Amino acid sequence: MKKTLTLLIATTALTAAIGIPAWAMLGTGSGSLPAVLQSSEGAAPLVLVDDDEEDDDDDEGNRKLRRAGGGEDDDGDDDDDDDDDDDDDCEAGQAGCGGAKNPAPAGSVAPPSNGLFGTGAPPKVQVN
Amino acid sequence: MKALLAALALTTALGFPAAAMAKPVTFTTTLNDYGGNGAYLAFYVTDANNAYVGSLWMAGGKSKYYQHLAGWFQATGGDTAQVNGITGASVGAGRKLEITLDLADALFDAGYTLHVDAAVEDMRDSPNEIVVPLNAAGAGQPVKGRRYIADFSYGM
Repeated sequence: MKKTLTLLIATTALTAAIGIPAWAMLGTGSGSLPAVLQSSEGAAPLVLVDDDEEDDDDDEGNRKLRRAGGGEDDDGDDDDDDDDDDDDDCEAGQAGCGGAKNPAPAGSVAPPSNGLFGTGAPPKVQVN
Repeated sequence: MKALLAALALTTALGFPAAAMAKPVTFTTTLNDYGGNGAYLAFYVTDANNAYVGSLWMAGGKSKYYQHLAGWFQATGGDTAQVNGITGASVGAGRKLEITLDLADALFDAGYTLHVDAAVEDMRDSPNEIVVPLNAAGAGQPVKGRRYIADFSYGM
């Protein structure tokens, strides 16, 4: 009980210490905020500066214009260009990326069993 | 001892025919200087009825772009399992891609056709840019592409 009472007194004192000076400022009208809110004969009408909805639509349109992405630099020994998409940091073989799973890169698993491949050497690739 | 030798002979006899049923084949694809980002390329095979049989290589590792390889995507529904283990990086403009694959002999001189789809970011898609029959006579014969691929050939 004593602890609770002490805590209550402390918080009340803290609130009073912060609130009373601010309240005093509002009362005297010396801050900038009360001056803006006061009506006057020469006040300018409010003007809409920006419309967030329009910006969002533009962003949507720009995203749709992008087509196939080319290049990722996740293969150290193959030629490629940077992929500057900012919503896909997935590497080949990773699951759960953007909904679709990227395929496993050559050498990490056996080629698909589609009857086209022999059982000899794994695929080799070279870019010049 | 005799049983062991017999077993060894049997396994050897079984192994040699299997080795002779496939051979290394090299696909060489040279790209034009088209002035864009790296190209995604899909190599896949259809049979004499133009039905999809399987994929041989995918240059480009992000599946979200595979929809722009329209021929391959239509044939597979974008199933990435079709290119597991046969996927590499996309290929830059002006570069030459050489892929050596161990392919079944039955793939050649049997009415199969190789297709190559190409796509580049912010540029037109190019499905079936290369379409060549797989046969011994066509080996080493360069075929010109119509947009991103300067020429393509395969060697056995």
